[in-house]
Amino acid sequence: MEKGREIISTENLAIGYSKSHGNSMVMKEINVSAFRGELIALIGKNGSGKSTLLRTMTGMQQPLSGSVFMKRKKLNDISRTDLTKTISFTSTEPIDLHNIKVYEAVALGRFPYTNWLGTISHDDHIVIDESLNLTGLSHLADRKIDRLSDGERQRVLIARSLAQDTELLVMDEPTAFLDLPSRYSIVSLLRKLSREKKKCIIYSTHDLDTAINEADKLWLMKSGKISQGAPEDLVINRSLAEAFESPSLSFNISSGTFRLVRSPKGSVRLEGSGYLRRWTERALVRGDFRIETSAKYLIKTPDVADDTGWQIITPGGEIKHFTSIYDLINYLDEEPSVNLK
Amino acid sequence: MTRNKRNIILLFLSLTFILLLLFIVDLLAGSVHISLNEIPVFLFGDGNATHDIIFMKFRLPKALTAVIAGATMSVSGLLMQTLFRNPLAGPDVLGVSSGAGLGVAIMLLTFAPLNNALTASMMSGWGLILFACVGAGAVMLIIMLISSRVRDIMTVLIIGVLIASAVSSVVTLLQYFSNETMLKTYVIWTMGNIGNLSPSQLKALSIVSVAGLLLAVTQLKPLNAILMGDTFARSVGVNIRTSRILLFASASILAGSVTAFCGPIAFVGIAVPHIARIVSGASDHKVLLPSTLLSGSIIMLASDVISNIPPSGSVLPINTVTSLIGIPVVIWIIAGKKGIKKSF
Repeated sequence: MEKGREIISTENLAIGYSKSHGNSMVMKEINVSAFRGELIALIGKNGSGKSTLLRTMTGMQQPLSGSVFMKRKKLNDISRTDLTKTISFTSTEPIDLHNIKVYEAVALGRFPYTNWLGTISHDDHIVIDESLNLTGLSHLADRKIDRLSDGERQRVLIARSLAQDTELLVMDEPTAFLDLPSRYSIVSLLRKLSREKKKCIIYSTHDLDTAINEADKLWLMKSGKISQGAPEDLVINRSLAEAFESPSLSFNISSGTFRLVRSPKGSVRLEGSGYLRRWTERALVRGDFRIETSAKYLIKTPDVADDTGWQIITPGGEIKHFTSIYDLINYLDEEPSVNLK
Repeated sequence: MTRNKRNIILLFLSLTFILLLLFIVDLLAGSVHISLNEIPVFLFGDGNATHDIIFMKFRLPKALTAVIAGATMSVSGLLMQTLFRNPLAGPDVLGVSSGAGLGVAIMLLTFAPLNNALTASMMSGWGLILFACVGAGAVMLIIMLISSRVRDIMTVLIIGVLIASAVSSVVTLLQYFSNETMLKTYVIWTMGNIGNLSPSQLKALSIVSVAGLLLAVTQLKPLNAILMGDTFARSVGVNIRTSRILLFASASILAGSVTAFCGPIAFVGIAVPHIARIVSGASDHKVLLPSTLLSGSIIMLASDVISNIPPSGSVLPINTVTSLIGIPVVIWIIAGKKGIKKSF
């Protein structure tokens, strides 16, 4: 695939807050880039400086040193008016209005283009209608904001940002406070916009799952440094693990998921294949059983989910049958000789 | 969208019609009976001499003052509510009216004793307005500084009430140290109502009010963005600092100039913007500002008509009437089904 044009990049950027008694640096030596048509997820722990970075990249805040380049032009050399037509920024600030219609809220995205009174022209109408269409809000255009669900309200913010008609869309935690289906639908909407509209979209999130599954590139902030790459690259080179792993949280490199670490209470052998084996293994791990080839108890998973079910072969050679994983785990929990302690 | 536009035009036309109707009713209301067909005679020729004087010197200026005072106080309230993003903001609630009163008190009780001729010319209008607006602006500045630190709506309002009391105390202090004549001038001012403006004062009030309104009109577009939130406004290129200063100036000028001549008019500034939101169903300031302006004038004229109801020839203080109209609206905002946070 041919790589799109570079939209935004940073060069030895240092971010933070300048105070009268010296600067408080949040992060330095930031060298990242984003291209046309790319969906980028910015990931990092709370307080790692995600918002500060986004605010600095959008010109809402001055860098401490280094530069941000918008299409190879220094951000500071671009006039405020031109900037509002190239970068849109959606902060975590919620819409705190109730007496406003979806259409009017989205129309405010046309702010940089309208006259001194903010009159919406015919051309503006076309852009607003398209933004509503892309975000699936057309049928709600006349609805008051306070009659929307949280997910729909987030879509309004995205539509407003689209109406600003910029090449770069920056969003600070667009999926915060949303339930799981809404989180997925918002991120897949962002992905669709990056693909179909060739927008460059950068969003910060705490939601690793959707980021790993949907984003083209992750910007990972950890211990004062930022690394970028495809989600898979960051999994393989253990950057993701290093960023979030702790004595109580371990990263599973094959599934790309994190799990709470607890000391195992027993060990078993596991025989079987396919998806039934995988789900059985999951349940055993959750139940704090380690899977070892030297363990005394053997568990055989069925090949297909038929009524032969699961079998446990005890050290004494006895065979026990189970029809569900739930029963299996309950048996192991109550069998003292399985347990290490 | 066209249906929407037609509704808005219809709204403006009906509000203007009600305004004109009440204006005429207000001209006719009073202890001396003036009939409708006498009005053209007063305006274009000479009729009954006593009635002519009552009409030209009293009724007409009073009705005009009501229109201006209602419009300016209400628009000032609207600007403050958006600026503070607080549905209970208003010139009287936040102590801005008291600030204007303090400005007048400082002028009358401190500067005036130095020079009597100066006082006379100042009372004619401009000086009064200047001091009232500066006083109003000072209080607004203090409230804005506080509200940038304290986000909670209620806290800001309580602080506003406290500042209003503090300002009243300062005025009492000034009274304590001033001489009898000055005190008398000031007390007469505090009893001021919309009915005793001199032609020169009315002229000054009109000019300053129009200036304040024009200033507000230049900020219609930023106001809509600011209502969405400061960060959004900045991200689409609003110069928040400039807009805020201009809106401050406008709100202070509007509230200050009316207070300078009419005394504090209670609850119009806080209640009318909400009435306008309800009748227009809009949050766009291009619609809200004209609706607020027209509704404000209507409420003020209605209040004046009501204040003339007692048949004995006595007139109720207009403040009482506006309070009785405004307070239920405010209670409804706080205790209503939608709740205080959902009124925008």
